[in-house]
Amino acid sequence: MSAILAVDGLVKTYRGTRKSPPVEAVRGISFEVAPGEFFGLLGPNGAGKSTTLGCITTLVRPTSGQVVVDGIDVVRQGKEAKRRLAFVPQMRNLDRDLTVREVLAFHGAYFGLPKAERESRADRLLAEMQLTEKAGAKPLTLSGGLQQRLLIARALMHDPKVLLLDEPTIGLDPRARRMLWETLRRLHAAGLTLIMTTHYMEEADRLCQRVAIIDHGRILKLGTPAELKKALPGGQILDLWVRSPQPVAPRLEGLPGVLRVETVASPGDDDGFERLRLFVNPGDGLLDRVLHVVQGLSGDLQHVSLTQPSLEDVYIHLTGKELRE
Amino acid sequence: MTAFLALLHRDLKVASRNAIPLLMATLTQPILVVLVFGNILPRLHLVADEFRTVMVPGLMSITMLMAGVQGVLMPLTVDLSGSREVDERLLAPISVRGVALEKVVAGAIHAAVAGLTALPAMMLLMHQVTGLEVHPRWGALLPLVVLCGLLSAAFGLTIGSQVQPRFSGLLFAVILGPMMLFGCAYYPWSGLTVIGPLRYVFLLNPLVFMSESMRLAVTPDVAHMPMPLLLAGTIGFTVLFTLLGARSFEKRTIL
Repeated sequence: MSAILAVDGLVKTYRGTRKSPPVEAVRGISFEVAPGEFFGLLGPNGAGKSTTLGCITTLVRPTSGQVVVDGIDVVRQGKEAKRRLAFVPQMRNLDRDLTVREVLAFHGAYFGLPKAERESRADRLLAEMQLTEKAGAKPLTLSGGLQQRLLIARALMHDPKVLLLDEPTIGLDPRARRMLWETLRRLHAAGLTLIMTTHYMEEADRLCQRVAIIDHGRILKLGTPAELKKALPGGQILDLWVRSPQPVAPRLEGLPGVLRVETVASPGDDDGFERLRLFVNPGDGLLDRVLHVVQGLSGDLQHVSLTQPSLEDVYIHLTGKELRE
Repeated sequence: MTAFLALLHRDLKVASRNAIPLLMATLTQPILVVLVFGNILPRLHLVADEFRTVMVPGLMSITMLMAGVQGVLMPLTVDLSGSREVDERLLAPISVRGVALEKVVAGAIHAAVAGLTALPAMMLLMHQVTGLEVHPRWGALLPLVVLCGLLSAAFGLTIGSQVQPRFSGLLFAVILGPMMLFGCAYYPWSGLTVIGPLRYVFLLNPLVFMSESMRLAVTPDVAHMPMPLLLAGTIGFTVLFTLLGARSFEKRTIL
């Protein structure tokens, strides 16, 4: 694979101040992205995703390590690298003093597009993103979904090779989110390389061809969503809602076929039922054994379900915690 | 260079749309000072008639300083705000220092326009006054206005990228206020021989060189600083603040 983006041994430590200690945001991340790939960086807030994108886009200076885009080192040849990259930031940083159409035209001008070309490209992108009606409006008067589409249109103005998106669907309503997914799929189908950070597992599962799960500045696992799910112990999940005078979880942990027990919610939250998640190897009378344990403790079983794991389960298994919003 | 010019084009376009409020912000002070010190006080015989001639170049330099600082500081505050609009500029194919330099040039144009507008505005307000000795030497005025504009904008970049936006009010009270009073705007530097060697301390104030530049250019009959010292101070401060400002801008924007 000749990579369009290669990140090698990336480390970023933010310098501390008198009041705050240094922060090791990224502690040695390496990965490669193939041309035309849709790649996802998954992880909670503070995991190091945005810093990694910052280092790729030249907005953050790496402490050590190397980022190469299309054969260009982003630190040493920043200007050349920036021509090949486009970035949709988490904060919608649209130029509030210009109109929607001018935002696109000026972005094209910054990249040296001749006037006729930037005008025609702006018109085409406005139409593609269904923003033509809003061409004369100021960006801050647009809804979040429209602003997001304008950010993507702006990013595409200079015809980048790699489009990076930092949490693109955060704060969008479900309809706007689906529209954005469609847009990203369309761009991917047209051959653009996309790299997206998200902490929505469903989103990564639907869109990304490969995913890196990051926490505390390191890649915990990298692979296709299917590969990551296969890596879960047992490969299936048994959810139980139990109410019992004695704790059930320790007794379940010892059962053959049960590989791990997690308490999803403690009893007494609302209805007194404890929600347990068991990573299991199903078959061989496993359900009988589980029922037996619960009955043996005079417990009350309200809900049982056996499910295929999702990426979120993989994440929780790897990091041992729920995703933070 | 293309990106530099495109950024400058964008800044001038936005500034020209806000031309009226921007000019009001910068011209209010010289107009009010002229009304009080150029019209009312001389009639009450509370200030000497010559004061009017002395203050015209001084007020031009103050106007340019304020316009240059505000012309950089206000867009910079938006740029560095929560949404970080500056990132779009930093992602353009231009170096970080190039982005900083563009801000200085845009601020300098703002300052030069303000200074060149202040002069006729003041003359208009004092057109009935006799004994006003204002004789602009355009050949010297235009390059000096450009130079002083660059100096004020570079100074604006230096303080703007070091001071948190919430302290910008304090900035005007604590830094710009004293600079204006001790900037030889209302008295010529050559007259400060009366305070002895202490007058050399005034040379730490960049506004002194701007006021003296304008004095040389519009009221050549009033004693002014010798040309070599004047140019050395103006160019020296411009280079110093451009370097300092570009450095702190880079520190502030690239993490």
